Amino acid sequence: MFATFACTPEALVLLTSALLFALGAAGLLLRRNPMAMLMSIELMLNAGNLVLVLAARANNFVGAQAGALIVLVLGAAEAVIGLALALALFRRRSLTDADEPQEVSG
Amino acid sequence: MIGLLPWAWLCTLPGLLLTALGRGQRPGLASLPGPLAIGLAGVAFLLGDHQPVLHRTAEWLPLVPDGAFSLRLDGLAAVMLCVVGFVSLCVYVYSLSYMRADPGQRRFFCLLDFFVAAMTLLVLAGNIAVLLAGWAGVGLASFLLIAFWRDREGTLGAGLQALAANAIGDAALLLACVLVPAGQGDLTTLAQIGPALLPGGFGPLAWLIVIAASAKSAQGLLYFWLPSAMAGPTPVSALIHAATMVAAGVYLLVRTAAVLALAPEVLHAVAWIGVVTAAFSALASLSQPNYKRGLAYSTCSQLGYMFAAVGFGAPFAALFHLLTHASFKALLFLCAGAVIHAAHGEEQLAKLGGLRRQLPQVMWLALIGSLALVGLPVLTAGAFSKDLILEAALHHDPALGWLLIGSVFLTGLYAGRLFFGVFGAGSSVPHREVHPPDALLLLPLWPLAAGAILLGWVGTPLAALLGTPQVVPVVSNLGLLASGLGIAGFVAAGLWQRARAGAARLPQFGVPWLGPVTGIGRSLASGFAGLHSGRLGLYVFTAVIGTAAILLFAVARAP
Repeated sequence: MFATFACTPEALVLLTSALLFALGAAGLLLRRNPMAMLMSIELMLNAGNLVLVLAARANNFVGAQAGALIVLVLGAAEAVIGLALALALFRRRSLTDADEPQEVSG
Repeated sequence: MIGLLPWAWLCTLPGLLLTALGRGQRPGLASLPGPLAIGLAGVAFLLGDHQPVLHRTAEWLPLVPDGAFSLRLDGLAAVMLCVVGFVSLCVYVYSLSYMRADPGQRRFFCLLDFFVAAMTLLVLAGNIAVLLAGWAGVGLASFLLIAFWRDREGTLGAGLQALAANAIGDAALLLACVLVPAGQGDLTTLAQIGPALLPGGFGPLAWLIVIAASAKSAQGLLYFWLPSAMAGPTPVSALIHAATMVAAGVYLLVRTAAVLALAPEVLHAVAWIGVVTAAFSALASLSQPNYKRGLAYSTCSQLGYMFAAVGFGAPFAALFHLLTHASFKALLFLCAGAVIHAAHGEEQLAKLGGLRRQLPQVMWLALIGSLALVGLPVLTAGAFSKDLILEAALHHDPALGWLLIGSVFLTGLYAGRLFFGVFGAGSSVPHREVHPPDALLLLPLWPLAAGAILLGWVGTPLAALLGTPQVVPVVSNLGLLASGLGIAGFVAAGLWQRARAGAARLPQFGVPWLGPVTGIGRSLASGFAGLHSGRLGLYVFTAVIGTAAILLFAVARAP
């Protein structure tokens, strides 16, 4: 039964998306390097986008495509701010651990 | 045209952008039209035909409960808009002078703009999902503004306490959001959901709402963050931690009073939480060495009165007290700010005192605020709303009612202690030269003082407007008794102050068994602040687990 389910194109896309999302989440949890963490977030965003676009096709609902575009813009904005922060920190030290800067703590 | 009014929450965003981009010679001037427009939106609605205005986009995310963007402007929201607009306009003008010399004033006004936008969104929310967005936004703004002076000792810790306490409330509200069946999260019709659709009936939903409200309004065991929040600038204490944000919990309870009415045991618990917080905070205020912390405990206590009113089944009394309290407590805090400003940042009561001669105008304003807090009948607004709460309390549960009336005496005592401690004659501490407040600093105090005197008279028309017509009595026997107790406490504190005029220390009113109670609060506070470890992995892990759990729950209950 699983074999027949997995053969439909929708299911393949869904599985790919789930895999991508799991990879991204795992990367975000396990990696300490801020660059790698940013890339993992991008991976998760794109996994979500895949499902949105799939749903747009399957249900003939264009709104979901607009949603996917919004997610793209959001991802770009997030990358800009994240990279700027990472670079600003990187200039002061070789930053390999996102938990390292602890100057501002209560 | 009137259909655009629910978008009033966008009004402060132009000011935010202009200030953030560094436009304008004087930061803050660009922000002034925002709160003015918000207040006028409320007034415009109240002048109209009072038909609720509703905005609702389509269901975007059917899986997420009530995943639509919905705004609602009705009588209740319009009254709150007037409060938010009026108080924040006063605080903005005040901040123009108060924060003038601060190097971070641009950031200050940006954060204030963000707060007002989030608060207005909270007020205008049509369903739980949008409410949650505003709810989390004001919590974030509160944290950022408490920790505004980053390099001062203890500000960040205080901000983290607020953040942690707010997180409990946010989580409760998020769970409530998931508990409500899809598409039925409209705040005004929550009580009409079929009980079969809610797991466990209305009890769990009501509890979650009450927990969220207690965290925001610093009630019960979750009071601990509000006194610490006084580490922020005084205009912030006046706007966020006295008049508007902490009142959001009460607003939520008033909004969902119909749901609470369906869960009587929760309603009873709310009454208890309110009365106990009102009494204990009043006691705790008596032993505070810090001026602002004394006022903060007073805010906890007054919010307790509002909670109790909701618990006694009188949500209108709670809203009315919210309205008058916003005016007189903001006035008291801004007076405290003027005093602290004049005394070069000194906040310890022991080192303030005898300021009657140097700051006569501030003294009269603080007297108006204090008397409204105590409840001088007819002349001040506080008396009208407090009498309404006490009336409901005695009618509903005489034992709790008398406890609440007893707390009025404590209110008088702590109000008197703070007032005479700062302005009375009894300071033996030689004062450095006081630098007088300028006209801009004192200007916004007058409209607030006018509100503290006159707002009581709007009670009866307000009740009619909100669809719960009742006559707010000008004087009643009960009101006179309570006022008598309050004034007695006020005068007693003044006499004590005079008797001890030669002593170096202020009366502390040490209550021995209060120590353990505040001890619990302190350990809660440090425990919660410690939850914020700054470890990114931990945050991500919690977020992933929490999201997964809530999604699973939502999928499980999707039809």
